[in-house]
Amino acid sequence: MAGGQWPAVLVISPLVGAALCLIVGRWAPRAVGYFALGVFTLVSVAAGFITYTVSAVGSFSYHMGGWQPPWGIELRFDEFSVSIAVICLVGWLALMFSLHYVNHAVPEPRIPYYYALFLLCLGGMNGFAVTGDVFNMFVFLEILSLSGYALVAITGERIAELAAFKYLVMGAVSSLTILFGIGFLYALTGSLNMTDIAQRLSSVEPFPTGVAVAALTLGFCVKAALFPLHVWLPDAHAIAPSPVSAVLSGLVVKIGVLGMLRMYQVLYSARTFDLGALNTALMWLGAISIVMGAFFAMVQEDIKMMLAYSTISNIGYIFMGLGLASTFGIIGATVHIFNHAIIKATLFLGAGALIYQTGYRDLRDLRGIAKAMPVTSACIAVGAVSIVGIPPTAGFLCKWYIALGAIEAGRIFFAITLLFGALLIFVYYIRMLNAFYFTPATHPHLLQVGEVPMTMLIPIVILAVLCLVMGIFGRIPLSFIEPAVIEMLAPVGG
Amino acid sequence: MEVIDLRPMLAPALSLACGIIVFLVGDRPFWRRFWSLSAATVKLVIVFSMLPGVLQGTVYRYSMIEFTPGIGLGFRVDALGMFFSLVSSTLWLITTFYAIGYMEHEHERARFFGFFALCVSTTVGIAFAENLLTLFLFYEMLTICTYPLVVHEETPEAMAAGRKYLVYTLIGGVFVLLGTAVTYQWAGTLSLAGRGILDISVGTQALTLLFVSFVIGFGVKAAIMPLHGWLPSAMVAPAPVSALLHAVAVVKAGAFGILRIVFCVFGVELLRDLGLGVWLAVAASVTIVTASLIALTQDNFKRRLAYSTISQLSYIVLGAALLTPLAALGAIVHIANQAFQKITMFFVAGAIQRTTGKTNIHEFAGIGFQMPYTMGAFTVAALGFIGVPLTAGFVSKWYLSLGAMESGDWIFVVVLITSSILNAAYWLPIIYMAFFKISPGTHLRIKEAPLLLLLPTLVCAVYVILLGSLAEVPGMPLSLARTAVEYFFGQ
Repeated sequence: MAGGQWPAVLVISPLVGAALCLIVGRWAPRAVGYFALGVFTLVSVAAGFITYTVSAVGSFSYHMGGWQPPWGIELRFDEFSVSIAVICLVGWLALMFSLHYVNHAVPEPRIPYYYALFLLCLGGMNGFAVTGDVFNMFVFLEILSLSGYALVAITGERIAELAAFKYLVMGAVSSLTILFGIGFLYALTGSLNMTDIAQRLSSVEPFPTGVAVAALTLGFCVKAALFPLHVWLPDAHAIAPSPVSAVLSGLVVKIGVLGMLRMYQVLYSARTFDLGALNTALMWLGAISIVMGAFFAMVQEDIKMMLAYSTISNIGYIFMGLGLASTFGIIGATVHIFNHAIIKATLFLGAGALIYQTGYRDLRDLRGIAKAMPVTSACIAVGAVSIVGIPPTAGFLCKWYIALGAIEAGRIFFAITLLFGALLIFVYYIRMLNAFYFTPATHPHLLQVGEVPMTMLIPIVILAVLCLVMGIFGRIPLSFIEPAVIEMLAPVGG
Repeated sequence: MEVIDLRPMLAPALSLACGIIVFLVGDRPFWRRFWSLSAATVKLVIVFSMLPGVLQGTVYRYSMIEFTPGIGLGFRVDALGMFFSLVSSTLWLITTFYAIGYMEHEHERARFFGFFALCVSTTVGIAFAENLLTLFLFYEMLTICTYPLVVHEETPEAMAAGRKYLVYTLIGGVFVLLGTAVTYQWAGTLSLAGRGILDISVGTQALTLLFVSFVIGFGVKAAIMPLHGWLPSAMVAPAPVSALLHAVAVVKAGAFGILRIVFCVFGVELLRDLGLGVWLAVAASVTIVTASLIALTQDNFKRRLAYSTISQLSYIVLGAALLTPLAALGAIVHIANQAFQKITMFFVAGAIQRTTGKTNIHEFAGIGFQMPYTMGAFTVAALGFIGVPLTAGFVSKWYLSLGAMESGDWIFVVVLITSSILNAAYWLPIIYMAFFKISPGTHLRIKEAPLLLLLPTLVCAVYVILLGSLAEVPGMPLSLARTAVEYFFGQ
């Protein structure tokens, strides 16, 4: 079987590792971070092998315990599952960043819990990305969401608990609607396996399918924080410890998008269901998200709050690309799932480094910090330029593809919204860069702080370099995604 | 004949590398100067090494990574690209010397020279871009790389100017990107190698909109009115940067973009069929005259220079818009001529400011006696702008006027003559002020600018005369421009 036993390692070891974290934490509290990093290194190696296999032999599936689908649990490794590569990359770097950062941000007794939850969250995402079974998808979604809520609250500050509670309420409701949608699909088709559902859906009436689709869409849009379902996001992402913010903003919201992609895969291959209305809605909501996210971000002074709102804009790009339903549009959306994860992680980890060294998180307090922390500031600048989509950085590719997709679909208005929306985003990033580079320091003593420790600096630098490299070598993720998108759209003649 | 060659890629790549090194070693003055000068020299040498081949009609190309099937990062050296890169590389080396002298006591020199070198690399990228996407890529990079130079002083005024600059140029960038995406959809290619990739079958109205989008996009940097607002306020930047913005990199990137759009994306034939050239020519003419009129009213020396730049850049646009071979020749050659004349003037402005602290024209009384060489250089450049024979400006005006007559629109010849008169009206008073107006009783002693400021100024002034008097000598810019024009008009 292609891929050997690596798929099982990928899904199971983070779950086991999380449990062991608590035991290790009791014996050797200082080592727990390294233990978690070790476990996740194993997971990353598994992800690397699987990605390699997918690129070499194409998609394959793995049957847990040897049970054949549709009865057994099927793990499906196709081109969209390759998102495990980016999950592992960002997750691993965030874990490495945590080694120093948590001592500073998280109360000491909670540190083992922090790593356990972190592993659970990453493992849940990996599972979600590769499962071929809708109920397992829900289970993994719950694992990653619940650990996400807890991670937001882990600092124990009062605002953190409030933000986590808001996140929990919205998240729980959305999980319920997703479960409802899955239940509906099961009732209609009698199956939980995605391929199976796709085959059986073709003989089902469109109306009940529509109800299921609506429930799933609603749920996934909350998870992805599409405007106007974004209200939980800014507080949660801004209050969480920075490595957690990086993972939440870069990866967890993308799980909603990935869920949408999986749903689209099923619906496109079932062929019976007309997606026109849904696509139009997503396109418009995407456009509104871009603009509203930018407007909200513009008035923020808190650096992490600003980054959080910019996630909403970027999710807007992705949904617009999905809704355009043209080849280039969906390619742009999927490429941006990868690239935005890297860019946003750069920015959140960079912001985390600033906060770690200075204790300030307000732009007005951080003025002139570039002189004291030149490497971190340069990385943040690269991230900022990248997220605005200035070529040749990673962010440009998505803008280019989605604009092409909009023109391909004959909707030039959306191309215009997208490109001008990106400019609005620049308005607030340039404020940040101005504060760091071109204004005299508010607190002169900050000029003495110096750079963060190496375990924090290296992840930031790696990510910033990737922001540049992914733009120039943008063809690499594309070579995975393009055939998958063409195959996905083939039944509807896209 | 097309040759695959590494040099088109090496020219931007090596100067980019030098730029990055400048950031890293920037605190040590010797190494900062060494790497800044190496960036400029290396680029100049590489560019010059390709000149003989290009003059014989060889086209060097080098393709790198592809983003999408068929389009990616690609470099291609044709006559037009060679022309622009030659002008920018030559001037850059001279400006780097000047900047070393000028910035001696400024703060943040590592940042300044680092971004300065990055600009070197992006401009040559624009010149050698093989397709529209590569062109756009470097066009946007140039915007970003110049921003830290504009806000260098970090005063509220500089920050406001920087903001204005970014708003204008990034919005322009959006229009270019939009146009690029639409072009790709319609033409299926973005290559700049041919004489037009678009086809009339798309529809007249759609093509008109596309053309307008491109003209707005590139017109921002080329400062076609009313898109010029950023340029006068960007004058707060240090003098070498103003020289760079106004003579070479930024504004010429816009003008160069318009030339590419006219000759390589739409093509002369298509634009004639669409009848769009005349409208662009009218817009350019309005800019030429209006900007000159505004320049008359400016007392701040650098602001007067800025408005003069706006007016002069539209010569290039006008030449392209007339769609005749001679006008195109005038337009291309004006890239070089205007660059050398304007950079001389900015060097003069910087030298005066550094030496005497004066920035307003009414304070210039008698300055010709204090700084005779500097003001001599200024006089040469001013005569060039007025279009006196044997200076560079005459050559461009001559061909532009011939081209206007060739197109049959006499009105544009009138515009050019009017502009000459206006140029005389705003440059000659300065010369009068400098050499002939001394308040009685003052005793003036020679107090020239430092050598590092003076020499580059004089070199540029000499160039202005050489470009005018030796224009027909093979290997001078005119021969290169002729090669480009012959290709675009299919002769």
